[in-house]
Amino acid sequence: MLESVTPLHISSGRRAPKGSVWLWAVGVVWLVGAVAGLWVLWAYENKPGESASSPKRWPTETRLARSPGQPTLVLLAHPQCTCTRASLAELAEVLGRSRTPPKTYVLFLKPSQFFDGWEKTDLWRTASALPNATIVRDDDGLEAGRFGAMTSGQTLLYDADGTLLFSGGITGARGHAGDNAGRAALIALLDHKTPAHRATSVFGCSLFGRRTES
Amino acid sequence: MSADQSSLALEASTRSRACELFAEAQHDIHRRTDRLFAGLMAFQWLMGIVFALWVSPLAWDGPVSRTHLHVWAAIIVGGIISLFPALLGLVRPGLPSTRYVIAVAQMLMGALLIHLTGGRIETHFHVFGSLAFLAFYRDWRVLIPATVVVALDHLLRGIFWPESVYGVVVASHWRWLEHAAWVLFEDVFLFVACRRSIAEMKYTAERTAALEREVCTRQEAENDARQARARNDAILDVALDCVILMDESGRIAQFNPAAELTFGHSAAEAVGTELAVWLLPADTRETLRGALAGYLTTGDMGILNRRLELTAIRKSGVAVPIEIAVAPISTDRAKMFAAYVRDITERTRIERELASYTQVLEDAHDTQRKDAERLAALVSQLRLTQQQAEKATRAKSEFLASMSHELRTPLNAIILYSELLQEVAEDEGHPSSIGDLQRIQSAGKHLLDLINGILDLSKIEAGKMLLSLETFQVETMINSLVDTVSPLVEKNRNTLTVRGGDTVPSMYGDVTKTRQILLNLLSNASKFTRDGTITVDVRRCVVDGIDSVEFSVTDTGVGMTLEQTQKVFDPFTQADVTTTRKYGGTGLGLAIVSRFCDLMGGSVWVDSRLGEGSRFVVRLPITITEVASESMAAAGVPTGE
Repeated sequence: MLESVTPLHISSGRRAPKGSVWLWAVGVVWLVGAVAGLWVLWAYENKPGESASSPKRWPTETRLARSPGQPTLVLLAHPQCTCTRASLAELAEVLGRSRTPPKTYVLFLKPSQFFDGWEKTDLWRTASALPNATIVRDDDGLEAGRFGAMTSGQTLLYDADGTLLFSGGITGARGHAGDNAGRAALIALLDHKTPAHRATSVFGCSLFGRRTES
Repeated sequence: MSADQSSLALEASTRSRACELFAEAQHDIHRRTDRLFAGLMAFQWLMGIVFALWVSPLAWDGPVSRTHLHVWAAIIVGGIISLFPALLGLVRPGLPSTRYVIAVAQMLMGALLIHLTGGRIETHFHVFGSLAFLAFYRDWRVLIPATVVVALDHLLRGIFWPESVYGVVVASHWRWLEHAAWVLFEDVFLFVACRRSIAEMKYTAERTAALEREVCTRQEAENDARQARARNDAILDVALDCVILMDESGRIAQFNPAAELTFGHSAAEAVGTELAVWLLPADTRETLRGALAGYLTTGDMGILNRRLELTAIRKSGVAVPIEIAVAPISTDRAKMFAAYVRDITERTRIERELASYTQVLEDAHDTQRKDAERLAALVSQLRLTQQQAEKATRAKSEFLASMSHELRTPLNAIILYSELLQEVAEDEGHPSSIGDLQRIQSAGKHLLDLINGILDLSKIEAGKMLLSLETFQVETMINSLVDTVSPLVEKNRNTLTVRGGDTVPSMYGDVTKTRQILLNLLSNASKFTRDGTITVDVRRCVVDGIDSVEFSVTDTGVGMTLEQTQKVFDPFTQADVTTTRKYGGTGLGLAIVSRFCDLMGGSVWVDSRLGEGSRFVVRLPITITEVASESMAAAGVPTGE
């Protein structure tokens, strides 16, 4: 068998050609640029939206009705927010894995300036497929306001008595499906366990066009 | 170069070639994979943009929308990640730096795509797929930067945003290792795959090199065979003799130009025909056929490999005498015969002429042999006559030497007693008898000189004259000589001058004979010069490599003619018959000078003009060597004290 082979690229000598210095320089700039770009992306995706100031008790003014003897889960969503797709996926995970499924509402924002049906996006259709979930159009975000939600993906869980058990997002980052603290907390609460967190960050589009970016 | 050395060199060459092939194949794989990744980079970039535009084209701020950051990230960050390695892949394919950059870029692209797809678990397979794709390089080293990028991605995001990576708000600091470990898990298999692939490539390179060597060897063999064939054809083309190749049945397979010229048939006509039928008359055909058949059947050579003289038939029908030799040739495929044919028409004619000339020469040779025999008989007779003559000469010389000795004894008594009688006559007052007694004494002395000369000459010719070799001072010898000859010189009122006596300090020779030579010359000069000058010159010279001394005696006397100088060194010879009468002398002095010079390995010669004087020159070796002495002894000249 061959014992050693001199690669062709170094057969002309060990000293680096003149162009390699430029290559190294360009390579470093390239790497820094690529990492910086990814870093911006990472920072964006991990920047939470504006937190909700949700009522501790089930708001009386809401038109949503709680189901007696059953916890109620409310998820506020922007129908055009692509990040919310992950939240709905996580909600499906929660509903599927909880032993005591809650009464579930998914509210889709419908600003009045948009035509009817604007809210009927793929997210609407996805939410409609959730078991025991009620899809509600939230005109001009009135209900969102009642629940103090500011960011799409905001999820609230009230117990049978109407006490707020959890408020936060159920994704680990913007648009990222997968294990996250919010989902784990909901599953724990629905299984009558003590969650690690009762409030988590929400990652999603701003419902009302405030400073939150999406 | 020995066979072992040649084999080793060939093996080394094959190994070197295998290394080259392996390096080329490896480089080719690197280049191709670089180009594949260049395309993949562009494709991923494009797909990232398409995906971002499709899945998350807009970001919303309540009722307000704008382009989603994913779109910009797909375009800008994706472009940054993709373009540089893609460019390297196209511009600098095959270089290590290119594939390392590509490895890093591919994993960065994976990170970007994972984020663009919302961290979907499916997209994470891009990482593992990319590692597998990087293994296309068959260089496990590229897995290192790729793995490092993945590990750093998880490490950094685990530190800053653990929930996005691990799904928990607070994660262990070592959690990233779990993710990196799975990547390493795949790396292990890819490493093994790369190593095996490299081993297979090396094996393939070795096989290819061996195959190339085999092909090369065969090509060289074919070239050698082709060249040998061309060389043989060229030799046959220029051969002066006819060369005809035949197959087993005796049919002509090759017919060279000399054969065409000799027999008048072209090669195209001759090839395929049977040589025996085509060229030989009917009475000799069966001989050739039988010889070929006999060899093929039994191996018996018969008339093969022998020169035969036959008669062949030209195309014109004319018979031609030929010399033919048929030799069997064994080739790899079949047995063949080569006929070497020579037209001996001219040779036959020359042989006939030569035979007649030889007869004439033999007759002449007989005549010459007889003449030579007669000549040899004459030579033998002459040699016998010469030996008899030499014997007679030696007998004569011995007789003379003996006679001279017997004569000197009474002569010495006559001279001695004549002197004694003169003294008695003077004492007793008989002056009238003194004159007679002086004449008796003078005649006796003259006779004694004559006898001494004859004795010396006879000794020389009898080979009994001995040399007494010693070292002597030349100047002393000259001075003594001058004292001796002064009375003779002054007798005729001459002046004696000696020049260069001190130029030769000494010489090794016979001082007595050297002195006798010069004394004889000076005596002659004094005798034949009146009121003149006599000059003795001594100088040193080298002649034929021999260090010599040259004595010359020059006088202003009567001189000689050319004819006289030619016989002046012969014994009993003077310039003319009147000389003895007028000047006296025995005619032996110069003969003795000549013999003494010969005896000592020297020479003497004379320049003279009648009426102007003479110049005698004697040249003697400064040192008479033993070799010279032996030579003289071999020549019949004894040496000794």
